Amino acid sequence: MYKFLLCWRYLLTRYLALACIISVMLGVATLIVVNSVMAGFSTKLKNRLHGLLSDVIVESFMHDGFSDPQEKIDRIRKSRIGKDIQAMTPVIEILGLVQIAYRGEWMQPRPVRLIGVDPIERAKLGGFAEYLTDPQNRANPDFRPNVEAKSRHDLVYPEIRLPSTLLLPGIGEKEPPVFPGDEKEKPRELAGAFVGYAIGNMRSRTATAETKNKDIAILQRGDEVILSTVSGGGQRLVPVYSNIIVSDFFRSEMSEYDANYIFVPFDWLQKLRTMDNRATAVQIRLKDFNRAPEVVAELRKLFPAEAGYQVETWEDKQGALLSAIAIEKGILNVLLFLIVGVAGFGILSIFAMIVVEKTRDIGVLKALGASKMGVMNIFLGYGLLLGLVGAGLGTALGLTLTSYINEIEHVLGRLTGHELFDRSVYYFDSIPTDVQAWTVILVNVGAVLIAVVFSVLPALRAASLHPVRALRYE
Amino acid sequence: MHDAAGPLLSAVDIHKTYRRDAVNVPVLRGVNLEVYEGEFLCVLGASGSGKSTMLHLLGTIDQPDKGIITLSGERIDNLPTKRCDKLRNETFGFVFQFYHLLPELNTLENVLVPLMIANGIFGWLGQRDTLRRRAEEALDRVGLSHRLKHKPRELSGGEMQRAAIARALINKPRILLADEPTGNLDVETGKDIMRILRGLNDSENLTIIMVTHNLDLVADTDRVVRLVAGQVEGSIPAPAYGY
Repeated sequence: MYKFLLCWRYLLTRYLALACIISVMLGVATLIVVNSVMAGFSTKLKNRLHGLLSDVIVESFMHDGFSDPQEKIDRIRKSRIGKDIQAMTPVIEILGLVQIAYRGEWMQPRPVRLIGVDPIERAKLGGFAEYLTDPQNRANPDFRPNVEAKSRHDLVYPEIRLPSTLLLPGIGEKEPPVFPGDEKEKPRELAGAFVGYAIGNMRSRTATAETKNKDIAILQRGDEVILSTVSGGGQRLVPVYSNIIVSDFFRSEMSEYDANYIFVPFDWLQKLRTMDNRATAVQIRLKDFNRAPEVVAELRKLFPAEAGYQVETWEDKQGALLSAIAIEKGILNVLLFLIVGVAGFGILSIFAMIVVEKTRDIGVLKALGASKMGVMNIFLGYGLLLGLVGAGLGTALGLTLTSYINEIEHVLGRLTGHELFDRSVYYFDSIPTDVQAWTVILVNVGAVLIAVVFSVLPALRAASLHPVRALRYE
Repeated sequence: MHDAAGPLLSAVDIHKTYRRDAVNVPVLRGVNLEVYEGEFLCVLGASGSGKSTMLHLLGTIDQPDKGIITLSGERIDNLPTKRCDKLRNETFGFVFQFYHLLPELNTLENVLVPLMIANGIFGWLGQRDTLRRRAEEALDRVGLSHRLKHKPRELSGGEMQRAAIARALINKPRILLADEPTGNLDVETGKDIMRILRGLNDSENLTIIMVTHNLDLVADTDRVVRLVAGQVEGSIPAPAYGY
């Protein structure tokens, strides 16, 4: 009991120990803030990836995919793992080009991924409808342009409109080009597409302070774009193209998808690519993602690689990116723990000074019958107490900073005149954070452990002091 | 006065040498001493004569280089550390010239320290109120019941020494070892301290060994021995010392 009493009194009376507490506090706070922000980015990224890619994907690496997707879906449903399936839908995914006219001028064609889906069925898998910018589409996704988009389209684009002859690909073109004025075609009912937000909008990093980070709309709902790709039928790859109306934008806040994906109607893409009753993949949502290994194993038996299939979870598809994030986080944590390690050396030196200062008191305690272990425990306990107080304060500070990180970023940005979180780089409007309980616990345990470990040497020194020499110390 | 069963504490041919700056300094060169139960022994010696060293050896704070120390016939100069710690806590009480109270603790807490050492955390928690009362009573006996919450820096020299005496007695030791207990006090305060020690010896038959260079303190003791050139000389009853 005397050990606890002395530890506590030393804590309250030794102002030098405040330096130890502050260094542990700052180290812990830094670790918590950095881990929370990294976890926030990582969680947001993973959630987006997971939603966009669905749990499991069965895909063909043949350019014309596989036949009879419904049969494949039925086969999966009837299999041993059918009970684990929440929802499934066939998709066609292919590389393509998009051509956009901006202010009457054609911009450079841009490579995109065309994803042919049934919007209602795809919505059941998640990671789709919730990213559409039209609230009606979020509730009930529909590729057909809404009234507003249709009105704009009819206003901007005349009844009949053909692409400029300069843009006709020429290869495999069976009909002679049609020049303006010679149009004989009937008005076409164009399909609608959900275009990636970053394809239809631009952010200027060199604009003025007012326009910086404001999105510049290149496309609006109702605009037409030209999608080009290669056909899927037969052995020979033939370029194909078609106009399509932008009926909505897809905004997941992940530039990899927002800048590259264009969702189009499944049957439309089938027709364009001459892929009747074919698909390139089946996307699957599971009832419980923990069952993914068993599901993937069974699907690999049903759809073997020898037959041209590939079965992966979303983590397999993004393995490199996820590993990179994990490695980065691991290295950063090691580096930051070194900060707390430096605090430990502070504890070591300050404790060594305190032991010298308390030499006579140590002699008195030994004269009163305190054991070596008892004296040692006073200083170990002191280190533990410093660690606990420092870690506690650091946790409070770290959690507070994390909660107000965006406000702090704004203030620091104003003070320094330099934006710390460049919103033109990230599509998030605020710094994402995710405070994970296990991280906070581990950081606290690590900090307290470091404080105790670095108090061992001074504690041993105190314990080994000879009582007579200690009593005579001046 | 002397117990027919033999001395309570006995030191035979005690030698102790200290090393200072690569030089060996012999302090005790064959000390022989017997202390009987209930007696108030005064060890007189000049500064540097080894009085404190002898007290430390008797109280197991230090170990002799040569010789034997026994307590009730049991050898105590070569005990394991744990036994020594227990002896110092329960059997011996120490009073130092400079009081040696712990500055972070108040008067009551200083007196409680030996009890806390003896009882461990669970023992303390189980008997906290009883032990506190004991400490308060001990402080009341030395006239410090109005200073329980004061820190040592708020006490006078005499008050600190009285608190140190209460601390030394709290575990009801068999022997009180006092190293120049009045050395840092004025004459009047010193007399107060001696009065307390004498009272303890008379009322409780507490064996006291006091080392000092001050001849004026001899009158309050029972027997005087002199420490000269590292050896004990003579053993004279205090009244026969000329006081």
